[in-house]
Amino acid sequence: MGQNETAHAPTDDVSGETEEFDPIGTLTLIAIYFVILVLSWVYIYYIEFLGRDLVVVG
Amino acid sequence: MFLLGSVTYGAVGPGVAMVSDTEPTVDAGALDEDERFSEPRVEQVGEDEYAAYVVARQFGFQPDPIVVPANSTVTFYVTSADVIHGFEVAGTNANTMVVPGEVSEITVETDEPAEYGLICNEYCGAGHHVMEGKVNVVSQAEFESSGGDGE
Amino acid sequence: MSEAIEAEQTFADKFPEEARIVRAALLGSFLALTLGAIFGIIQTLHRTGVFRGLIDSTDYYTSLTAHGVFLALSFTTFFLVGLFTWAVVRSLDRPLLNTKITWTWYGLMAAGMTMTGVSILAGFVDSIDMSADVLFTFYAPLQAHPMFYAGLAVFIVGSWIAGADYFRTWLAWKRENPDERIPLQTFMVLTTMAMWYIASSAVAASVLIFLLPWSLGLIDQVNPTLTRTLFWFFGHPVVYFWLMPAYLLWYTVLPKLAGGRLFSDPLARVVFVLFLLLSTPVGIHHQYLDPGIAEGFKFISMTNTMFLLLPSLLTAFTVVASVEYGARQRGGSGLLGWLTDLPWRDPAFTGMMLAGLMFAAGGFSGMVNAGMNINYMIHNTIWVPGHFHLTVGTAVALTFMAATYWLWPQITNKPIYSRTIGLVQVVVWFIGMALMSNAMHAQGILGVPRRTAEPEYSGFDYPTMFGGFEELNIQIAIGGTLLFVSTVLFIGNLVLTMGNPKVSGLGDPIPSALSGPDDSPKVLDNLRLWVGIALTLVVLAYALPLAAIIQRGGLLGPGVGTYPVWLAPLLDALANAAATLLGGIADASASLAEVVG
Repeated sequence: MGQNETAHAPTDDVSGETEEFDPIGTLTLIAIYFVILVLSWVYIYYIEFLGRDLVVVG
Repeated sequence: MFLLGSVTYGAVGPGVAMVSDTEPTVDAGALDEDERFSEPRVEQVGEDEYAAYVVARQFGFQPDPIVVPANSTVTFYVTSADVIHGFEVAGTNANTMVVPGEVSEITVETDEPAEYGLICNEYCGAGHHVMEGKVNVVSQAEFESSGGDGE
Repeated sequence: MSEAIEAEQTFADKFPEEARIVRAALLGSFLALTLGAIFGIIQTLHRTGVFRGLIDSTDYYTSLTAHGVFLALSFTTFFLVGLFTWAVVRSLDRPLLNTKITWTWYGLMAAGMTMTGVSILAGFVDSIDMSADVLFTFYAPLQAHPMFYAGLAVFIVGSWIAGADYFRTWLAWKRENPDERIPLQTFMVLTTMAMWYIASSAVAASVLIFLLPWSLGLIDQVNPTLTRTLFWFFGHPVVYFWLMPAYLLWYTVLPKLAGGRLFSDPLARVVFVLFLLLSTPVGIHHQYLDPGIAEGFKFISMTNTMFLLLPSLLTAFTVVASVEYGARQRGGSGLLGWLTDLPWRDPAFTGMMLAGLMFAAGGFSGMVNAGMNINYMIHNTIWVPGHFHLTVGTAVALTFMAATYWLWPQITNKPIYSRTIGLVQVVVWFIGMALMSNAMHAQGILGVPRRTAEPEYSGFDYPTMFGGFEELNIQIAIGGTLLFVSTVLFIGNLVLTMGNPKVSGLGDPIPSALSGPDDSPKVLDNLRLWVGIALTLVVLAYALPLAAIIQRGGLLGPGVGTYPVWLAPLLDALANAAATLLGGIADASASLAEVVG
């Protein structure tokens, strides 16, 4: 069943080669992305959008 | 998710209203019999309040230019005589779709006198790229001396 | 079940007939890519004013229609059906039920797309009274030649049969393996196709009930808001239809290329279920600035859209974590130091990673698009194509091209001609898109409209922000040129690969997930339940808006004409418009004279 992910990997297949995997690097990257997202949003919404002429009021 | 939710709904806070279904439908083929759109114009409807009736058609806007007074509240009523168009006062937030049979209503507050470009931002046929107009925000005095009908 | 023997077998060894179908689908997709890229370079140079000698500005829209239809519909969908055929057969480890059916849907899809393509391309030839310059959104009352709509209908029916083919093959497998969980790749294919049935039903209804009869003259007019709403009912989920095969590759192939395995099978299933549920009841967010649709409906659509960010964030986490796991298996260490331990020389890996990075950037502009009132700023500006060239134009397209470097040997037994050229190709695409898309976003904020042959106007100048309009035009032109070069490298490399001799030993099996399917609740595999909920959500989101639209404007529209771009000679239309405008100006000056006098 080498080509089939229904193949049930024996449990020791994983634990044998590594300890508990902790994706700390991934969480760091995502945290950095979030900071960029929030800063960009503040800029684009509050400075670019609300700072323009002819704001629609109704 | 909480972050994104608060960012987005926080943005609703400033009270920017959306184009909506406030206006009844019109017959796009008979705009010349329509009270508001047979003569596209700007008219005063209250103290510092103005209504601009605008018709978009292949490939231009009427009236052109749309002249409105500074420091006032202007409501644009925009409809199309033929296909779907866009109504975008370039570089500003005044932007809406223009759908035949429907009237787009957006209200904006004008500031100092300025001249803006008005462009169609939805593809409307082979001459789409030449479809442009002007929105001129002029001083109250200038607006009144021009007759106040926006033309 | 000997793993050693199976590991050496490629897909082409095990399933030669299916491999032929996958190849045919991929080749169809790459033909569309080639055509789309040619129109892409023409447009880039035309719109930025660098070179306008090749087509007239009035023909720009023919080119734009072709670019959109060939890339957004044809390239993506043909790759998808090829990939899905591979994924179903590979993960079920059994052949398709009946390849005659498979060739039937392939033939239908190819015939449909040919009809639509011909009706578009005829627009370039004045002597043929046929055109379809309606862009890939075909908003009525602009009207295309009937063959345009008929071709689309045939194409969609073909894709429905493809979906049925996958479902039937899965059911046959289920009878043979009653107690097994649905293999992950098949699960992804089935949820995606279920979403496709729901989504495409609306566009099929729009085409068959309204647009096709109208283009044939059987009905006089249509309700433009209704057909537009039905289009976006389909038009938003279709972006996930493009994205799901890319996700399938990110989840099941990318971790393997990184030297590891998928982090979590259950999370992947949750993500695909969420897409099935939430992709469709959001389409009205493309219509925030439409008159005739109540603000409340727009708000509901925005809420659903924001929920839709969840599965993409889960994907970012799961995929990056799987890659990190791979890097740590390869000896990577440190908080971020593992990033240097990844196989960056592998074009398949690097291409997919760069595609994912671009998708993260597209996530931001997508957030802005999804915000309801900020839409005033960017709606129908070139910001929007700037956004979707990051998502479908890179996250999807670059992933497809990168995956081809890995997949093609599996389905042909031929090694890639040059992996170095492949690496250069994916990097050039990334740089080109970074330039082009960034400049498009910036121009969008200046107010530069999308979909126009000549975005410069006589009456005003754009303000200056991050560089002026002209500088940004140059960036777009350079970026677009790089993208074209990248496509040429890709196609060239592939053609040279076809000349390679077949070899053995290219087999490259996919390892199972770190956290396997048995860790996920069984209810995830209950497709009936999810389809039921998805349908309920669609009804909740769309029943009232559609009823309101029909009540306002009538089924066939509130007095709207027909603007057949294929019958009315262009010059007449222009002349009429000019006369109308001149008339308007004459009236205006007359009334002005009256006032002044």
